[in-house]
Order: sequence, then C-alpha cells, then structure tokens
Amino acid sequence: MKRRDFLKFIGIGGVGAGAGFVLGKVSKPPGAKLIPYLIPPEDIVPGVATWYASVCTLCGAGCGTLVRVMEGRAKKVEGNPGHPVNRGGLCALGQSSVQALYNPDRITKPLKRKGPRGSGEYAEITWDEALKTLAGNLTELKSKNESEKLHLLASPLGGTIDRLAGEFVSAFGSSNYSHYGLFQRKNLAFANLSAMGTASVPHYDIENTKYLLSFGADFASTWVSPVNYSNGYGKMRQGAGERGKLVQVEPRLSLTGASADEWVPAKPGTEALLALAIANTIVEKGLARDASAWRGVLSRYKAKDAASVCDVSVERIEAMAVEFARTRPSLAIAGDSVSSYENGVSGAIAVNILNQVAGNIGIIGGVMPNGDDLGNGKKIDFGRKISTLISAANAGKIKTLIVYGANPVFTTPKAARLEEALSKVPFIASFSSFMDETTAHADIILPAHTSLEDWGDDFPDPGVAAPVASLIQPVVGPVFDTKSLGDIFIELAKAVGGNVAGKINAPNFAEYLKASWKGLYSRNREMAAGTLGFEDFWNKALQRGGWWGPSRKRTATVSARAGEHLAGTPARFEGEEAQYPFYLIPYAQTAYMDGRGANLPWLQELPDPMTSVVWGTWVEINPKTAASLGLKEGDMVNIESPFGKISAPVYLYPGIRPDTVAVPIGQGHSHYGRYAKGRGANPIEILPFKEDPLSGEAALNSTRVRITRGATGERMVKMEGSTKELGRGIVQTVSPSEFKRMKKEVV
Amino acid sequence: MKKLILYAVVGGIAFVIGYFVNDQFFSDRAPVQPINFSHKIHAGDNQIPCQYCHIYAERSRVSGVPNVKRCMGCHQIIKTDSPEIQKVASYWDKKEPIPWVKVYNLPDHVYFPHKRHVRAGVDCKNCHGDVASMARIEKVSSLQMGWCLSCHTKREVKNGRDCWTCHK
Repeated sequence: MKRRDFLKFIGIGGVGAGAGFVLGKVSKPPGAKLIPYLIPPEDIVPGVATWYASVCTLCGAGCGTLVRVMEGRAKKVEGNPGHPVNRGGLCALGQSSVQALYNPDRITKPLKRKGPRGSGEYAEITWDEALKTLAGNLTELKSKNESEKLHLLASPLGGTIDRLAGEFVSAFGSSNYSHYGLFQRKNLAFANLSAMGTASVPHYDIENTKYLLSFGADFASTWVSPVNYSNGYGKMRQGAGERGKLVQVEPRLSLTGASADEWVPAKPGTEALLALAIANTIVEKGLARDASAWRGVLSRYKAKDAASVCDVSVERIEAMAVEFARTRPSLAIAGDSVSSYENGVSGAIAVNILNQVAGNIGIIGGVMPNGDDLGNGKKIDFGRKISTLISAANAGKIKTLIVYGANPVFTTPKAARLEEALSKVPFIASFSSFMDETTAHADIILPAHTSLEDWGDDFPDPGVAAPVASLIQPVVGPVFDTKSLGDIFIELAKAVGGNVAGKINAPNFAEYLKASWKGLYSRNREMAAGTLGFEDFWNKALQRGGWWGPSRKRTATVSARAGEHLAGTPARFEGEEAQYPFYLIPYAQTAYMDGRGANLPWLQELPDPMTSVVWGTWVEINPKTAASLGLKEGDMVNIESPFGKISAPVYLYPGIRPDTVAVPIGQGHSHYGRYAKGRGANPIEILPFKEDPLSGEAALNSTRVRITRGATGERMVKMEGSTKELGRGIVQTVSPSEFKRMKKEVV
Repeated sequence: MKKLILYAVVGGIAFVIGYFVNDQFFSDRAPVQPINFSHKIHAGDNQIPCQYCHIYAERSRVSGVPNVKRCMGCHQIIKTDSPEIQKVASYWDKKEPIPWVKVYNLPDHVYFPHKRHVRAGVDCKNCHGDVASMARIEKVSSLQMGWCLSCHTKREVKNGRDCWTCHK
C-alpha cells in the first residue's frame, strides 16, 4: 500500500468515526426529566388509570361514557357497557371528545371584541370584568323596562342546565328562551304529538323487528341515536331468531342504505306518497290490522298513481306492502327522506299511518311511544323557530342576545339573512368554548367548560322504552380559564341581583344539580329502591353513570286527529327543472354532523364510510349523469341554486339517482379553529330559507341545482383507489345455510 | 472503482465504531442531578427500604419519584444545616417540584410494569444494581431487549418471550 493511500484511509476512517460519534450523541433522547408531585393527591396513583362514568354531549343521543383518566388527564373515552342507550358502544364523534377538551383553538379566557363584528378579533379580559360587563348590560335593560328584549338561544339542551337557563331568563323577566340546531327532528316530534300525544321521537324497536322499512333514516351513522340503533340493528340481523330484513327508501344511498337488503330510490319529495300508497295497498288487499280511521283518507293514494309520481313500479309497491303487512313484527321509520322537506311533518304523519295500518304501534318490534319522562327531559317549543328570532331581531325586539352551543350563522342558509339581523342586535354575548361563526359576532365571550370538565345530567330522548337519568361529572380539572356553564348563569344572576339573584340562590351549579336530583329522587319512588338515603343514591349514580329503571313497554294508538296535517302532495323544490335539473340532497355526514365535528382533526382524517374522502367536501354525482356532463372524478364543479353557488370536487357515486346530487354538511367554516377554517364548502349556504311551518324544523331538501364545470383548485383526497373489487374476492362470502353446515363440520 | 468501494467500507466500519464508542463510553450513565442526593446515605447507611420513598412500585407501572412533601417529612428536622437540604427546602418553599434527571429511560413502545416485577419477587438490585453503595445513581443495565429476554428466559417467565407481553 502506498503511503498516500494509507493516509487517505486514515482520513476517511477518522471522518467516519467522528460522524458516527456525533450521530450517536445527537440521536440520544435529550435528558428527560422526572417531575414528582409536590404533594401527592390521595386518589391518584401515577401510572394507574381511573375511570369515571359520564355522558357524551357531542350529539343529543346521550350515550353513557367511561373516561380513562391518568394523573389528572383524560386520555380516552369509551362507551359505558352498563348504559341502556349505547350499551358500551361509542361513535367517532364521542371518541373525539378528548380532542375538544385539549383543542388548541379553544377559547382559553373571557374575551371582549376589538375588531368589527364577525372579524374574530378579541382582547383577553378577566372573568370579573366579563361578568360585570354582561351584568351591567342586563341591569341597564332591566332599568329601562326592556327585560323582554333579552333572548337566550341555546342548542337543544335538556336536563337541569336547561331548567337553570330557563329560570334565569324568566326570573329576569323575559320569555325568550329558544333552542336551535339542525337535525332536531322536530317534525317527528310534532307528528308524534298529534298522533300519540307526546312531543318526542318515539322509541323504534329495531332490535326486535323482522321487517324494517326505513325512509332515509341513516341510523347506522348519524340519525337520532345511532349507537343505540346500530346495536339494535346488529341484533336484528345476527341475534337469536330469524334474520330481519331492511328496506331503505332514499334518493342517495347512505351508510344504512348500503347495508340494506333493498334500496328503493324513490323520486325526492315523493317518499311520503310512497308510504301512503303502501298503506293503501295494505288496506286494499285486506291485510290491514287497524285501518278504521284511515280507509277514506288512504283511498286517494292508489299504487298505480303513486308509481309514476314516485318512480317506483307498481309491482314493487305491492310487494313491499304485502311483505310489510305479513311479516310480524314490522316497523317503518320516518327518516330524512320523508321529514327533511318543507312538509316534513306531513311525511312523518304518513309513516305513522303506515305503522298504524300494519298494526305496529305499541308492540314489541314496532313503535314504542315514550312516556317515561322523569320530569327533566327536553321540551320542544314548536313556536320558537329561527325565523321568529330573525324577525324579532330585525324589528329591534332583541337588545341583548346570549348564545350557547347553537351556531345558526353556519347552519342557516344565506337566504335567511341572519348576519344582517344579528347586526341589529346591540349586544351579543356567547358562552361558547370555540370561536364558531356565531360566536365571532359576539361582543363578549364567556367561555364555558367542555363536557369533560363540567357537571350536568341527561335524560335521553328518544328514550329506550325505560326511564333513564344519566349524570355528567367533571373527569378532569379545567384545562383553561373557563367556567362551568351553570356557574356562569348563577354568577351572572348574583351580579344582576334583585329577584334574579333571589330566584337562583344556589352556591354553584354542582350544588344546584344535586338539589335537582334530590327532587328527582323524592318524586320517583323507584329511584329510591335499594338505596340508603339520597347520598348513597347520588354516589351510586355517579359511579354507574346515572340511574335507569326496568324497561316499560307502552301501548298506544294513533289518534284520528293525526291526519289533520297530512298534506298528501309531493314536497316542493325551488328552481325550475329546465334551469336547475338536479335535486340537491345535503346530508349529515358521519363525522361532522351539522358541522360541529369539523374542528376535531381525528374526525377530519376519518375517511367517510361511503366515499372514503377526508379533509374536504365533495359532491356525489351518478356516473351516468357525470358522463353526460363530461365530468370525471375529482373535477371541480360549481353547484348553483337560485340562492347561491358553492364549488366542490366530483365524486362518482353509483348509489344516487341520476337526477340528484348530494353534498355532505359540515365543512366550509369561515371560523371554528385551524382544522375547520377555510376547508371545503357548506351546502346550507345555497339553500332557500325554508322550515316546516308547523314544527320549525329546517327543510334541507328544498332546492334544485345546476352543475357547471368550475375552476381547477382543491384536490379531493380519498383513501380508496377504486370502488370496484375487480374480481379479487376481497370479501369472501358464504350463505347462512352453508355456514351452518361448515360450523357443524368443524365442531 | 474498486478503491472507492474500499473507501466506503473503511468509512462505514469507522462510522459504526464511532457510534458505539459514543454509546458505550460517553453516555451519561450517571447524570448530575439538581440536588446531590445520595442513595448511599439513605438506602445504604440508614437502611431505608426502597419502597419507603418509591411508594408506587408495588401498585403501578411506575415506581414513583418521591414527592417533595415526603423529602420534607424528614428533612424539616434532619440535617437542616446541609446546603443540599436547604436546596430541597427552597423548592418546597417555592412550591416547585424538583426536576430530577431521568437515568433509566424506556422507549414508548415498551410496556414495563414495576408492579409485576416487584410482586414476582424480583429484587430491585437485579436491574438497578447496588444502589445502596451509589453516591450518585448510575445506570447499570442496558435495558435492551436481549437483556430483558435473558432474564425472562432464565426465570422461565410464563409468556415471557411473547412479543405481546412487552410490546402492547
């Protein structure tokens, strides 16, 4: 070896060893610290989890939860196996509630508006100042004898917090306390009120039915109480006894539709007529069990007339009628494809009549009316609509508006001109923990805790044919400088003083809640059974997650008055067919619901179960329609209604009628944190401002649209490469009989 | 070309040697702690049992660093004139925890419960060495998988060689 080479080797070796040494140094984790407790909390063992029972409040279903807490931090939320609503299950929204708690975009302190309204520019203030400012405004209102000009607008709250909020408003001297939210299913409640006397969604006994006819109820995904229904559905299909059949009537195949045996894509707006035609066929064929009150009404809805209107063949209507009447028990559910229209109440009534004719009301496996209200359930005031609030604001009848939980700026169409109405309200306060579109209009923000930090209770509606009262307890200490929602009302009452402070004289909301449960305990004798006094009952309820009694089956009949509001005409859609050829179906997406889930990154990255799209909005178009328009998957299009325009990429979806397009609700936020803001489009923007005149529920299916090619832009991100299985046998199937034989062979 | 490969091989071998020299001889096996705490005085001279201070070892995944209140429990009276004890007292007065430097660090993908080991009768010494003679605590075990497995094998731990026992 030459001397030169030797030196080269030495050099390279040295550089190599040096580099290795440095890499070894930098790749080591930096000296981690061990931080001990100063004084250890007695009930915490580091490294050992504590589970607290509570209730998920991300939607109105009221699923019981168990929250895993380690060293004072909530780590994981699971379903409470003992809770009668969800029996251990929990949906994606509930799983993400820890991301609401630790969300980086939470409002961490009380805020006062700095910039113009809607800009979202705020300055931090103290709680003292915030409460004083709001109380000062209220006192001024009172001194001017304008108490009636206070409005409180909340999400559909229930239980004790709802009572407290109501007490606060009425003690102040105002009667204006309203609830608002999408998907309140007020149409069902209204139909149920006129039919069975209780204004609530009844308990649909999916578990025990053998033939389920669902009119667009996406109960496997978002509809009313999805975890409860999914559980029931699983038992109906795979539980003991014969496998039940599911038929789904809807223009756009939902997740529930995808697991149905039959999909009936009736023409949008005519589904109620289809229900009536089925009912009439049952009567005509002499299969009805209880048709006395309806024979006359139904005779107008002949199957052969309905066939052309609904775009469903006569044979199919007759086959459905026969199967629905002959299979025992059977059940029809009034989901979104009968109740999301301007005459949604009428649609829900039609389905009630169908159930009555087939004899499904008040039987196991049928419709079970709720009647087990323990006294604190959600109450629906059908007179209070968002439209009445808007006209009151425009007429100068609202001087101070307090908003909590509801986000009407996002969930009402632009045509409602809500923002304009809000600009006429001199003072707006929000108790929201997030900067949503409505909160961005507030002059002052008093951020409330998220549900994992707060006290509360819940009385599930719809019930589960059993009395249920669940408790919400704080599982962690407040992460930020926020307050319990109840405490805000109580401290505000104290600051306002006078008879408001006199009426609400609890020291804090935890005490108020306990007192409320004491009343509940003494009123309901069954609650007291097996407990040693109230304290014992309270502790047991906290430990279990609440109290629930044995199941009570109730019977009822549909009163003849139910037919009063039956319209019997197809629902109206805005826009001429020639100009706007497609029906627009905006639907509740599994993860975002009405848009509330969009700020949680887990939900953004959760692929949509039907399309697998993540982090965006898409428009579902039938491949045939797309071909005729010259569109391919991923092309940006403009979706234009007589009321506005949004754009979204095309998703080719064979599960939709060629004359219909569908857009998921939930994206298109202009505020609401870094994960939601400026992403996708909001289909509600381009809807006409329509609600059912009887119930006040928003009519989401109410316009036609046209599709035009849009500017290139957003890319659609989806997990699936192809919708086709291409003969690879990804899902291996065997018939049930074959399976039984195989099982025997194995054993 | 042949030479180039030779250079690469020599460089590569040197790189690996450099890495291990750092890892084996330059690692901070006995880091300086915010307080010059001596296990020799506590566990050695005064014979205080390990679990008097590491109170969670039998009940939890972690053995637990003694909370500051526990230190002060004795040192409000004992050796209050020592400058190191005064440091402890100043943390206590400021209501601040003592930021000890971690000596034994396991990656997140390893599930190691102290509880099971203590209950199985494994002596603390087995992994932490003769702490009673250490003035400053020193890492004596590699905590690498081979090291874990050799003990699991020797003691014939049930499912002791199963991946899921530790990686879960």
